[in-house]
Amino acid sequence: MSETRIDRPLSDVDIVLRVAIVGLALGDAYIHSTLGGQLFTLNAIGYVVGAAAMVVPIAIAVRYRWLIRIGLAGYAATTIAGWIIDPIFYSTAYLAKAIEVALIVLVAIDFVRRDGNPIDVISGAIRSLLTRPHRPASGRA
Amino acid sequence: MKRFLSFVLITIATVGLAACSASSSGRAAEPSIDPGALTIAAKDLAFSTSTLSAPANKPFQIAFDNQESAPHNVAIYRDSSAAEKVFGSDPFSGPALVTYGVPALAPGTYFFRCDVHPAMSGELVVR
Repeated sequence: MSETRIDRPLSDVDIVLRVAIVGLALGDAYIHSTLGGQLFTLNAIGYVVGAAAMVVPIAIAVRYRWLIRIGLAGYAATTIAGWIIDPIFYSTAYLAKAIEVALIVLVAIDFVRRDGNPIDVISGAIRSLLTRPHRPASGRA
Repeated sequence: MKRFLSFVLITIATVGLAACSASSSGRAAEPSIDPGALTIAAKDLAFSTSTLSAPANKPFQIAFDNQESAPHNVAIYRDSSAAEKVFGSDPFSGPALVTYGVPALAPGTYFFRCDVHPAMSGELVVR
């Protein structure tokens, strides 16, 4: 994972990508919120949280934006998988699935532009977790 | 600031587009209502009845009154496994009344449900 990519300011293309991702996530959240029922409502809340996490300017969110991207893409993929397991074929469902596919594609593009190769990023994160220096016990309870 | 405003405007436009598309779901054709039509309603994510009775070997109608904004439909299956659909229709948002024309069914006990909310279900007895 290169530090320069993370620190690099957002270009116009990055902003358009980010707007599109947030818009698609909120659009999908809206669709699911109109369907009624606990499962759909929770799904909608998840998309709103994901959209917010993609843009919130908090240091920890900025630092782990790569993880948020993976989470959002995984969430959309899980929603698609849920529909494949128990499908319903009508226009709103098709629209929601199209939005989710587009969301995954845009998040993947955003990931590559901002973070680089996903495999390198994940393996780098795992390596840094495993090689974190061990802190001696302070003696306090 | 200009960039932030553009961000907000484009986001609102995208969500608005999704909202408009979501509300235009397809509906079944509405034949004129037969006085002998079966009636069922949906409210608070529940059907008004869990049992319907229909005549065997004769087409019949179901007048479905969706009383809430959540989309619902009435789909009829061979049994509760919902593997074989014998009649289906597109879910629609209410409040709205839609009349389905159901083809003739052989005598037996069928299973009906809302495809969007499978917990909303019941039995259709055809005799």
